Amino acid sequence: MRSLRLLVVGTLLHAKHLSRSPFEVTIALVVPVVQATLAVYLFRAGGEQHRLLEAAVGAGVMGVWSSVLFGSGGAIQDQRWQGTLEMIMLAPRRPVLIILPITIATGVVGTYALLTTLLWGRLLYGIRLEFAHPVAFVVAAVVCVVALGMFGLLLAATFVLMRNANALANTLEYPVWLVSGMLVPITVLPAWTAPIAAVLPTTWGARALREATSGGPVWPSVAVCLGISVLCLALGAVALTHVERRARAAATLALA
Amino acid sequence: MTFPSLLASAVAPPLFSPPTPHRRRPHRRERLGMKTLRLMTVGGTIAYRALFNWTTPGMFIGTLLVGPLFQLLFFAYLGRQLQVADDRFYIVGNAVLTASLACVFGGTMAVANERRYGTLGHVLLSPRSRTAIFWGRVIPYAGNGLLIAVVTLTAGALLLGLRIPVSALPGLLLAMAAGSLACGFFGLTLGALGLRFRDVWVVSNVAVALLLLLTGVNVPAAGLPGWMVTVGNALPITHAAEAARRLAAGDGLAAAAPALGQELLVGAGYAAAAVILLKIFEVESRRRASLDAL
Repeated sequence: MRSLRLLVVGTLLHAKHLSRSPFEVTIALVVPVVQATLAVYLFRAGGEQHRLLEAAVGAGVMGVWSSVLFGSGGAIQDQRWQGTLEMIMLAPRRPVLIILPITIATGVVGTYALLTTLLWGRLLYGIRLEFAHPVAFVVAAVVCVVALGMFGLLLAATFVLMRNANALANTLEYPVWLVSGMLVPITVLPAWTAPIAAVLPTTWGARALREATSGGPVWPSVAVCLGISVLCLALGAVALTHVERRARAAATLALA
Repeated sequence: MTFPSLLASAVAPPLFSPPTPHRRRPHRRERLGMKTLRLMTVGGTIAYRALFNWTTPGMFIGTLLVGPLFQLLFFAYLGRQLQVADDRFYIVGNAVLTASLACVFGGTMAVANERRYGTLGHVLLSPRSRTAIFWGRVIPYAGNGLLIAVVTLTAGALLLGLRIPVSALPGLLLAMAAGSLACGFFGLTLGALGLRFRDVWVVSNVAVALLLLLTGVNVPAAGLPGWMVTVGNALPITHAAEAARRLAAGDGLAAAAPALGQELLVGAGYAAAAVILLKIFEVESRRRASLDAL
């Protein structure tokens, strides 16, 4: 219970903290709206008007991934730059319980993108928010955010080992959008991308949301998404413990 | 010297050699021109090396070469699936657009990073022309953008099997150079806003995203509302992408020339806008003593 409370309170704290940043909020709101507009015009030009809601949801999930990628990837580095890394690492709890709320919070901020693209589509383009499985959509969205937060922990723990982590984050945005089928169906991609897509939680999260939107078996995708993410969480926890011990031994915790 | 006298001097050495004339001292205006050119190229290069953060090869390749290539692939596959346009439309258009990443952020960094690192005051204390200093900053970033566009087009064409006529390559290079330069000046205009607004990176990020939508690189102009097409016509890349597509289709330089001219005109407009805005905001920053305030 104490761990759960720590996770919830920590997530709220960091979500509030991120929401205070005009840069984070503007990017989370405006860029996905531009992507959604692009998707709407592309789908219209391609004669796929009946898939506009799918396009808006896809653009929103793209925004969630961008938020997690850049937010979680730099989570530890940001704490270091703020001068708070030593303090949170001194807390008498496991490092994973301290860092996980930050990465989940980046997913929570990412939901601003999802909500904005849906609202934008409804108000501007008259897209009817008629989900095939409305309840499943909400559950899938929550699972997707938490799952991406867990995946984010793995990113945070591995990115901190790399000097050029920013470059990796910049590089990973479009490939994951592409391979996960957020807007482009996986079926049109070369066959060799299928195994990569299969191990990414983003693929299953996006698939669950798409199925909840347009119809299909939502729950298997939700379960696979959650399963892969728990695995990412376990790997991230191990990596984080290793990184923390190494940084303490070498006295480099506060050094960039 | 006429042709016969040239021939004579080549056959037999002249008996009398006239004294070597003194080298003519360049006119003041010529000297100033040379100095300005030197300031733009050398100053621009030094500033690029000092202010460009992504100096390691890994960061450069990851951010500026691999990322844009996946952007091209993303839209090419999306276009294939929706059958909005053919591969050439997406590959050529997105290759030209990829220059915008380095050029818009680079142009912004040229001003904003001077402020961030506390060196803007020193630059503005220089007795040299502000116009030359800041225009010079754009040149390396435009070169960077051109390199990215060329690499992306080559890789994209090879991966997706697009054939481009060899005769179109010089024209394509010209179109990508024009697009990069226009984008660099567009970035400099946004960077000028950095003298007035605290967080110019928000503006740059939004601008780069808007270029995806408004330049007609991913959605054909016929599929966009009229006002978006009008705004797009005033943005860099729009006309360069159109010229590049015409060239890649084998239409020849003559067919692409009007679009190329329009791109250069747009670039010149942003170059002028950047200088005017820098002047206005500099005066205001001095008056409000907010030049280095972050």
